[in-house]
Amino acid sequence: MKDSDVIILEEPRLSRADQFYLPQVLIGLGTTMKHMFNVVVRDKHRVLQYPEERREDLPVEKGGMLLKSYRGVHRLNKDEEGRVKCVACFMCSTACPARCIHIEAAESPWPDREKYPAKFDIDELRCIYCGMCEEACPVDAIELSHVYDIVGLTRQEMIFDKAKLLKIFDETVKNEPM
Amino acid sequence: MMQLIEKGIDWWTANIPPWAVIALIAHGTVMLTVAYLILLERKVASWVQDRLGPNRVGLGFGIIPIIKNWKMNGLGQPLADGLKFIVKEDYRPAGVDKILFTVAPGFMVLVIVISIAVLPWGGTRQTDRIISIPPGTANVHDQARRQLAQGDEIVGQPVHLGGDQYRVTYQYPFQIANLNIGVLYILAVLSLAVYGVVIGGWASNNKYSFLGGLRATANMISYEIPLGLAVLCVIVLFGTLDLGQLVEKQCHNWAVIFPAWNVCSQPLAFIMFLVCIHAEANRAPFDLAEAEQELVGGYHTEYSAMRFAMFFLGEYAGMITTSAICVALFFGGWDFPGLRGPDALHPAVTTSLIVCILRAVVFFAKTGLIIFLFMWVRWTLPRFRFDQLMMLAWRGLIPISLAMLMMTALVVFAFHGNTYNGLGGTAALVLLIFNLCTAFLIMLISSMIPPAPATNRRVKVIGSRYAETPLPAGG
Repeated sequence: MKDSDVIILEEPRLSRADQFYLPQVLIGLGTTMKHMFNVVVRDKHRVLQYPEERREDLPVEKGGMLLKSYRGVHRLNKDEEGRVKCVACFMCSTACPARCIHIEAAESPWPDREKYPAKFDIDELRCIYCGMCEEACPVDAIELSHVYDIVGLTRQEMIFDKAKLLKIFDETVKNEPM
Repeated sequence: MMQLIEKGIDWWTANIPPWAVIALIAHGTVMLTVAYLILLERKVASWVQDRLGPNRVGLGFGIIPIIKNWKMNGLGQPLADGLKFIVKEDYRPAGVDKILFTVAPGFMVLVIVISIAVLPWGGTRQTDRIISIPPGTANVHDQARRQLAQGDEIVGQPVHLGGDQYRVTYQYPFQIANLNIGVLYILAVLSLAVYGVVIGGWASNNKYSFLGGLRATANMISYEIPLGLAVLCVIVLFGTLDLGQLVEKQCHNWAVIFPAWNVCSQPLAFIMFLVCIHAEANRAPFDLAEAEQELVGGYHTEYSAMRFAMFFLGEYAGMITTSAICVALFFGGWDFPGLRGPDALHPAVTTSLIVCILRAVVFFAKTGLIIFLFMWVRWTLPRFRFDQLMMLAWRGLIPISLAMLMMTALVVFAFHGNTYNGLGGTAALVLLIFNLCTAFLIMLISSMIPPAPATNRRVKVIGSRYAETPLPAGG
């Protein structure tokens, strides 16, 4: 780095009035009072009362959530007959950068495919919600839903198994078709 | 039944001095208010930042039936917080000074509790009572004096009603302690509050706490001086240190409508005082002792649970006391249209207990406004850097307040020759003009003093790219 590349910024000199602080202090007090007035009298605050109001209910231009591109908790899709769509190809767990998908494959009981997942666990605490699994899946079996408020009291609870992932599908399929 | 109640009231007035009741109520009110001040602080903070603040916990706490689910705009929050502080683990790290670690927060609260004593809540109440003095008593006045509660002052002579019955008219001040050096007492006691901070910082055995304590000391030492000088501006005017009397002397009007409050005649002194009590109460923008960004939590880094709560309590109660002093000195204390007594010479004296209580309410309301100003300022201004803090005190406030004091003394000496017993309209106008002149003169002179030394600027470290003499090659 050359000396000419360095830009040295001097702090701005205070004017005579600024050196007495008071005029600037009064201006600042005016600004904050304006905000207080707006909140208390005109009710113009920027608060979302979360459990009662949700961002997905708001239009995007008013601070709402753009659901189209939101990546929430995973779900395992089902086909028309209610069977799990997954063919246990391990593409998602290979693609996963966080190594949070654990699949145990087994012989498929159905004639149209060779394998199906006997176990399908996703550690939602390890997951970084990047959506790579969704991209990698050849049969569109794994998808990220719009659900973001998942909670658990233990770490074990946050490892979602196949049953739970299928349940999320049942809960979200109405709002987010495949 | 009625007789029993009457007997009870008689016993009460004879044995319980009014100041004891006032002390109980005043302290209770202040302590409860502190809890709600914290809620107000959080509310003000959120309003300034376009938020709503705590609004979930109602007074039902989700347990009490019927009001269980009422949110009441967060009115239950302070009580819930208090409960949390009580049941929380009171953690004490290894290596702290065990005794001082506990003493410090207690000291903080103690100081504030005793400083409430001299606040003039409601002037003086005059009342009378019938007492029995055995016939043949030589000095009736003395005998009556002995039968009254401590702190009561007899007005005139007891009136003989026949038999052994006498009617005694007496006055008592509607405050806890009627101290004739009230202002001095407050200044002395409030500057003790910093000991709580310093001891806490030292006992914590933590470098951040210790730094916080050190900063608080330097802060306090610097701002005590202009604070005292600003107070002196008022004292010089009226020649009394009694807070009750200081308030009483502001209880009249200029030109019929303008209340004769000192803030109107001495605005510059008021601004000085206001700035200094911000520093005194360790509030932003002077809260360097607990600068979160630099010192973790400052002096209370190592504190938790009730000990921490006591520090908090001390800080907020200190805010109440300093604001109350500000009201008493500059805003006419309890003075409010319609609450002055009938005697123009002694407007503090009233016969009605309700008026006294109303005065206390007015006093408290005015204090509340100043406290709101404290909070408003806190959420407006960023914190001063330490050198700026010192610069403001030593190069700014102390010279200005000295000039203010000299100016006030000059006006008092030249125009009256003695202290005022109540500032007239003309004198107030003269004072105001002199105040503005002082402010103008200060601005004029300040342009002549050489600029402050450039501290805290970029230092050209040898070997850095800013260095004028680079290190020799290979060095």
